[in-house]
Amino acid sequence: MKKLLYLILFISAGLFAKAQNPSFSPATFTAEDQVTLTFDVTGTPMAGSSEAYIWLWGNAGDSPLNTSWTNSPDAARMTAAGTNKWSFTFTGTVLYGLPPASLSNFNFLVKKKDGSAQTSNQGPFNFDPLVFTPTMLRVFPGKVGADDVVTVNFDKAYGVTANEQRMTPTTATITMVDDAGNNVGSPLNLTVRKTGETIWSASYIPSVSFTPSTGRKLFKFKYKFNGTVLDPGGATITVTSSETEVTFTTMQ
Amino acid sequence: MQKLFRAGLMMLSVSFLLTACQPDAHKELDAPRNILASLEGTWKLTKATQVDESAKAKGFPFKEIDITTLFPYTDFRITFNLNAGAPGTFTTVPGASPKIIKLTSGTWSVDNAASPKNITLTSGASTEVTTLGGYPVGASNTLKLAVARVEAATGKTVITYSYEFAKQ
Repeated sequence: MKKLLYLILFISAGLFAKAQNPSFSPATFTAEDQVTLTFDVTGTPMAGSSEAYIWLWGNAGDSPLNTSWTNSPDAARMTAAGTNKWSFTFTGTVLYGLPPASLSNFNFLVKKKDGSAQTSNQGPFNFDPLVFTPTMLRVFPGKVGADDVVTVNFDKAYGVTANEQRMTPTTATITMVDDAGNNVGSPLNLTVRKTGETIWSASYIPSVSFTPSTGRKLFKFKYKFNGTVLDPGGATITVTSSETEVTFTTMQ
Repeated sequence: MQKLFRAGLMMLSVSFLLTACQPDAHKELDAPRNILASLEGTWKLTKATQVDESAKAKGFPFKEIDITTLFPYTDFRITFNLNAGAPGTFTTVPGASPKIIKLTSGTWSVDNAASPKNITLTSGASTEVTTLGGYPVGASNTLKLAVARVEAATGKTVITYSYEFAKQ
């Protein structure tokens, strides 16, 4: 019975454990940075293919490499990166021939040259901004490792919903995720401090607050802010902001 | 006659100027500052700041925050010992502070004894490099160390932590 339980646990772990796919190097990048995306096509119609081509599009429209679905150009050919793995290196501004301010995100799929097989759409994936764009949720510093001091910020001046615009934050909730996509420990609730007219902040050190299981590492975290607003009757009600996630940068 | 007098006066003036210009004698220099000696002793962390180097380079509004009071950084102490005037051993006592230097003891060395920029801390096979941001000599009694966080994929410094210490 015990062996059966272990077997079920083992199979379950295998089912839920999945590497990040696609992966990007560096993990975060601006439209002016060169980035290499690597995609494992195992389990897609592209599995076993001897060559692969990228089809890429985004907020700026189709990439100039999307010349013909049935005859992709050599410039769109991807590089073999292992069994069923293909990589493609590009710089957003160079690929599109556009200024960085014109590029905010992109999607892609992997296909055969003649378009007879393809993967599903991947994305959208965001370019890091080159100009500061104020947002309701912001992390400081922009790139953080698991050992760094991480400050999450909530600016209600940029709230989207009425509750986000009216709320007085009291706590921030951090949910940690490891490199297998599993939650690490329990969500962490941090008391916020007011750091601006409309800004509240909370800080933590990921590797101090969370311990990944053996063989795993902290990969990303999600955060949201919780607070209160007064309802039309004057009663205090609890509200929560939307949630966003941050992937850790690997440091030397 | 007058022309001869003027020419003689001019020559006299020029020769006076030439002989009057003498180089000043160099004064004796003070003894060179002994930076290594100034580093010796136990130092207590008094201030910690975190700089987003990318935001700083781009001129973003949020570039730096003071993290001194966010965590008990002021518990952190480091001791530099000299060995016959040269860098010797070091110890760190973090207390409840985040471990801004992970090594707890070992030896330290500098890249230039006369005007060091980097201090390398070594313990067995492990090393950590900190950058000196200011010498505790002259009017300043503050030791400033900086630790850079470098992105593995690009080799770029993305975060810098600056720490100020007071002599104990």
